[in-house]
Amino acid sequence: MMIMDWYPVFLREMLLFKRKLFKLGYLFSAMIVPIIYMITFGLGLGRNVRMNGTDYLNYLIPGLVAMSSMTNSYTWVASSLNLNRLYFKTFQVTVQSPIHSSAIMIGEVLAGMVKGLFASGLIIMVGFIAAKGFHISAFFIVMLLLNGFMFASLGVIIGMITKSHEDTSTYNNFFIMPMSFFSGTFFPVDRMPDFLQVVISIFPLTHTNILIRKSALYADGLVSFAVIVTYAVIFFIYGSLLIKRYSE
Amino acid sequence: MIKISGLTKHYGDIVAVDNLSLEIRKGEIFGLLGPNGAGKTTTIKILTTLSKPDAGSCIIDGFDVVRNPYEIKTRIGVMPQENNLDRELTAYENLLIYGMLHHASLLPEKIERILKMVELWDRKNSVVSKFSGGMQRRLLIARALLTEPAVLFLDEPTIGLDPQIRRQLWEVIRKTKIDGRTVVLTTHYIEEAELLCDRVCIVFKGRLIALDTPENLKKTVGEYAVDMIDDMGKLIQYMFKTRDEAHEKAKQLQNGVTIRRSNLEDVFMKLTGGKIE
Repeated sequence: MMIMDWYPVFLREMLLFKRKLFKLGYLFSAMIVPIIYMITFGLGLGRNVRMNGTDYLNYLIPGLVAMSSMTNSYTWVASSLNLNRLYFKTFQVTVQSPIHSSAIMIGEVLAGMVKGLFASGLIIMVGFIAAKGFHISAFFIVMLLLNGFMFASLGVIIGMITKSHEDTSTYNNFFIMPMSFFSGTFFPVDRMPDFLQVVISIFPLTHTNILIRKSALYADGLVSFAVIVTYAVIFFIYGSLLIKRYSE
Repeated sequence: MIKISGLTKHYGDIVAVDNLSLEIRKGEIFGLLGPNGAGKTTTIKILTTLSKPDAGSCIIDGFDVVRNPYEIKTRIGVMPQENNLDRELTAYENLLIYGMLHHASLLPEKIERILKMVELWDRKNSVVSKFSGGMQRRLLIARALLTEPAVLFLDEPTIGLDPQIRRQLWEVIRKTKIDGRTVVLTTHYIEEAELLCDRVCIVFKGRLIALDTPENLKKTVGEYAVDMIDDMGKLIQYMFKTRDEAHEKAKQLQNGVTIRRSNLEDVFMKLTGGKIE
């Protein structure tokens, strides 16, 4: 029984998500930003650019997939937790039930991963249509899952510490936005000035972008892989702690 | 059933609950009566593990709310002051998720029984955002009762409802007492406290002012009241032990006098010098 305690938390999010899906606005808004980027950078600017010996679109699409998995896993968890805690007060129902804080964490993170996967799945489909050389490997999927887990866990942290809903967009502007652009989504990080490269190498998304373009985990990817796993574990533990310590 | 000792909670410089001690007996409907900001909701939040006290202790059914939150959570049902149902989910889904979170057995049967009790069974597949205020309150109380908790906490159960719907909800609350359940409710409605509660605790500025049955509390101020509006439009009240004494006083006074039974508002006014509502 205890081992499935996360399930109602997850189920609740999925039922709410299902309702949102039927409102088409959600579908479009999940897709619109990456598609705008794809048109602007891929078809507009990048038409004549060749990257690592292939078409630019083949370089860009895995980056956009990673980016949409990040923003969707993170944003949905952070903003729904924030709203549920401060406005709808439904989070209180969950913390008042006899389940462990880590069960709440697992349920929320899994739900965030599903939402992130859903959005990145849409981009993958667009990728198959738009770019001939685009393909995905099993390792690609593993990285997508790990990325979603990491950013959904970060979403719980931000959702728990923000004091108002407006705060969420502050974190977006200072962390998520710069990460979307500088972490190797649109161009390789080694084209950036040295001092910026140091900062960028701290960003978790940078390492997802390095790995998601590889066909499997080789020795040169181990450091990035270790960085992502470390971030994921720290975010998960800290998020669980914040839920455990919750007090009004 | 519940023992609160020296309970204190601050929010910044404000003292929400100030050294509150009281005991609630098994099977009674116990009311916390007081104006807004008296510390009622804070007390409920602490008792229901949502808030941690700065000092003092609360024991429910032998378990400490701070040290044994898990045991407390399996024994209580909470109807909060704010509607915290999932508005985008149906009535049934709201109860299903809640029941699963609380490891409830025979969930479909329990959901059916409780929805029938609050007369929402035929609306079980409607999304909660389409419900009226009264229906949402009924669903909230149904959710709190779903797991058959030993103690039911109702924070301002009828706040903002019109009188007719309030009466419907009172009926539901009375029904919950039948199977020996302890009910703790907060209210700032005098009538609600008098009609529902076996014992009432009057709280003011986080402190206990008086605690007894409504009848005994009223006896302390006199059972009859004579209200008179003076020339300046000011309300003057006289309290009497018997109806005869009240009549005697009313005769002496001019017109515009009303004789009535005293109520808990009179008790509150006598003890604090202010009104509840």
